[in-house]
Formats: sequence, C-alpha cells, structure tokens
Amino acid sequence: MTKKKNAVILGGGVSKFGVRAATLFDMLQEAARAAADDIPGLKPSDIDGLIIASTMAGRHSNALNTAPLVAQRLGLKPTSICVRIDTLCSGSNTGIILATGLIESGIAEVVMVCGAEKVYMPQRWETNYTQLMVNDHDWDSAMGLGVPPPFFAMIAKMHMKRYGTTKEQMAAVSVTNYNFGASNPKGQFSGKTLTMEEALSARVIADPFTLYDCCPLSDGASAVIIASEERAKEMSDRPLVYIRGTGQHATHSVSANWPGETLAEWPHLKKAGEIAFKAAKLTPKDIDVLQVHDCFTISEIIELEELGFCKKGEGGPYVASGAITLKGKHPVNTDGGLLSVGHPFGASGARQSLEICRQLQGRAINQVKGAKFGLAHNLSGTCAQHTVIIYGTEPVD
Amino acid sequence: MAELKTAQIVGTPALDGKYIAEMDQWPLECPEFNRNYTFYDNLRAGRFTTTRCKKCGHIAFPPGVICPACWSEDLEWVDLPKRARVVAFTETLAGAPAGFDCPLIIAWLNFGKDAPLRHLLARIINCPEGKLKEGDEVQFVVFEVPAHPIDVKKETKICERVFYAFEPVNK
Repeated sequence: MTKKKNAVILGGGVSKFGVRAATLFDMLQEAARAAADDIPGLKPSDIDGLIIASTMAGRHSNALNTAPLVAQRLGLKPTSICVRIDTLCSGSNTGIILATGLIESGIAEVVMVCGAEKVYMPQRWETNYTQLMVNDHDWDSAMGLGVPPPFFAMIAKMHMKRYGTTKEQMAAVSVTNYNFGASNPKGQFSGKTLTMEEALSARVIADPFTLYDCCPLSDGASAVIIASEERAKEMSDRPLVYIRGTGQHATHSVSANWPGETLAEWPHLKKAGEIAFKAAKLTPKDIDVLQVHDCFTISEIIELEELGFCKKGEGGPYVASGAITLKGKHPVNTDGGLLSVGHPFGASGARQSLEICRQLQGRAINQVKGAKFGLAHNLSGTCAQHTVIIYGTEPVD
Repeated sequence: MAELKTAQIVGTPALDGKYIAEMDQWPLECPEFNRNYTFYDNLRAGRFTTTRCKKCGHIAFPPGVICPACWSEDLEWVDLPKRARVVAFTETLAGAPAGFDCPLIIAWLNFGKDAPLRHLLARIINCPEGKLKEGDEVQFVVFEVPAHPIDVKKETKICERVFYAFEPVNK
C-alpha cells in the first residue's frame, strides 16, 4: 500500500461579516479575492476541487445546486470535486475534513473549501421563520424551536444549577472574545471592545442570556485552500500547517434523543474530541491555541470541559481565571470567535481554521508566541453534532 | 440607486394567494405523504404514541418505518406517557417565529427514569407569562393547526391537521 499523502492548509480569506448589502455570490467573490491576497502564489487554475458549505443557499438565495454556481462566479473549472455540503454551523470545517480525505487519497491536489450564508432577507421575519427549518422540522421545530437562544438558555440554566456557573463567568467569555475581535477588520463587531460591566448590564435576550452572551446572525463568506504537501510547497513559502486529526460525531436530531444526562453534559463532543486527539497523537495539554464554537458564552465553557481543557463542571472558573486570554494557558478564539466576528453558519468553520493556520504560521493579529498545535471545533444544529480538527506544524508521521 | 417606494403588497403575485405547504412549519400528516400518518390519527384520538420494534423491543421516538436500533420493519404502535415534569424552560416574550404567539414557552421535560421517552423539548401552551415553575407537572394536549390543500387526481382536497404540546396540570 502506498503511503497516504499529507494534507495542509495554506491560508485563505473571508468577506466582511455582518448585515451585508450583498448577495451570497458577492460575498463568496470577496472571500476568494481575500484568499488570493493571503496566498500570493495562488491562481484560480491551481484549484482542482471546490467544496462549498451553505445551509441557507437553497432557501434565501434560491440556489439549490449551489456548487456549479459558485464555481462559475469564482472562475473555477474543478476536475476532482465540485459539491455543496450542509452541516449547518460546521459546514466548512466538514468541508476541510472531506478535502483532507480527497487529498490524502490522491483524488484531489488543491481544494478550495468555502462557506457562505446570506441570512438577512428584505423582511427580518423571513430570517426567523426560516430558522424553523434548520431543526428537525416535523418535531422540535413544530414546537416553535427556531432561533437558538431559548434552547441554549436552558443549557445555561442547567449548567448554572448543576455546577454553580455564574453570569460573571459567562461574561468573562464575551469580554475576552470581544476584546480579541476588536482588532479583526472583517468582524461584525470590529472595533468594539467590551467591559464586564457592559456585558452584565446589557438587555436580556433569553434569561439568563443578555445581549453579549449571544452571537449575532450574520451574512458572510469564507474560503481556505487545502492542498497536498507537495503542491503547497510549490505555491507558498510559508511554514506548512498540517491537518493532523479530525473527528465528527452526530448522535441525534430530535431533542428526545439528547445523549447527555442533562443538557449540561455533552458526551457527543467528548467523543468527537477523543477521536480527533487520537488521530492527531496529541492531548489537550499540547494545544497552544484553539477555536471553539462560542455561539453562546455557555457553549465555550462546556466545550472547554468536554474537550478536556479543564475538568467537567469547572469551565466557569476556568474561563474566569484568564486561561483563555492571550497570556493564558490555552488562548481561545483569538480572532474574536462567533460572538464578535459573527456567525454566517457554513462560513464559520473555515474562518476558525484560517485563524489557526495564521497562528501556526506566526502571522495572526493576536499572535500566540511559538504556537505549534491548534484545534478548531464547531457544534451544529441544536447541539446535535460536533466537529473537531487538529492542526500542527509537523505531520503526524 | 433605485427609489424605495411605500406600497401595499399582499402576497407573492405569481402565487396568487395559494397555500405553500413547503413553506409551512407543520408536518405533512396525511397518508398520501407520510407513512407515519397513524401518529397523527392517534393524536386526533387523544393518544401520544410511537413505534416499538417487535423484534428487539426498542421504542423509538419519533416513530419511523424501521427500527433505528436493528432496522427491523416489524413495528407496532405503543402509547407514551402523557405527563412530565418541567426541568428547565424559557419564555420568548417578543419575536417568536411567524405562526407562534408570545409568550412562546419552550420547556425541557423529564418523563421519569423508567419511561420509554426520557426527555423532550416541548412547547407549553394554555399557560400565562410568568406562571410556569421548574418542577411543575405538565400534561399532553392536542390542538388543531392550519389545514393544507392536496391534489388528488383532478380534485383539490383539504388535509386537516393537528399537533401536540403540553400544558400545566394545575392551571
């Protein structure tokens, strides 16, 4: 058997995230242009595969068979793969897992993985109404479960009750992430810093969440280039960032089949993390910088527990200790995360992976000194599926 | 730049006021579209049911046409518990999705340690804002939801629909 190839992430780009006066395709073109600026040697003709992650394309942009439409707008003529995928909030990190498999097996050489969402419609109610279609339509959605805050608010209430987590600890997450995101030119809340006092006194969204506990709805697009090690060396002089291990675990869709004892336990994330760490031959101690899915402040707290960065139930004190800041043990969401950058569902994963890539290449805005290993995580749906990718400056073997 | 005008627009003109089932938030419940129509027939009879596998005994929720544990097609309909306790809940006081009134109360329910359905996220109705408490007992309740048209040969028939939620036992 021939040895499998190594897959690397070269770099990429994102459009401006936020409430955009732009179509899905406008933002994808912006992301591709930003990727070309990020990887000076990159030409459209280098790319043999396209994976586009989008959940809303079919509904909000009337683009059901999305991939060929994107290929045309980006001037790509893929020969290995041209496909749209949808795993909601983990879309483009799922695309990176698929691209890795295609490259390691030799089916593809250079794949552009992009993600994009246009969620804001001419009338705001349409956006909220469509959110009913992203859960399990005939069951949980028919209960009125649309936009995520009510569900995650219940998660927060249970975590507070079982483990004593406080609003101040949750605010430590939003304060850290907003202050990281202030320097991100592409973020929805670029330039906005946040104090503990502001976070705690903001208006209530869904008790116990106030405004800054919740990530916004966002339009936006992202694109990264995943390539074989050999092709990457031809295209870029930067340090190589290898995809060392991945894990994705889905357990249910309807709430009745939630795998935890209560909503405060996320065993499906624990397992996804274990699978990725095993493949990467690393442990949480080795990780220098990470991106976790901070759709809500409580999410980041539980994710750090389940991924093994602190003990179960100690996520609150852990984030409040400063461990997630630039000077901390494991800096988290150094580009601002979902809370500050915004969350165009399918686009978030590639945005996270791009930040990890820049960190490991030593060129991030909020650089973690000497970072060698990084992790990116998404949850998707009503916390139904977890996706983990571990990167490193060296390959596994 | 095009000028924005204030105008009275009623519906999407090309659709001429037609009902769009694919844009609806309720299931297609009729036998012409759903092999689990028995679930909805049972709702009409006041029963909360699902499918149990006759081969391995697994009770699945939601119901299906195979058993998700062993993929057997040999299934029967069984009743589920109709009372549960509220573990946690949220009240949406503004901005509920179109088709749902405020307060939209969504609760995490526990059916008990030995119940075939352990927990479920469900809407609580017939309950004023600020009344529900953690630990409250709630009961299953069925209500009508909008009907939709269905083409049967050359005729258009109406498919009436129901759905379920929970309500406080002590109102």
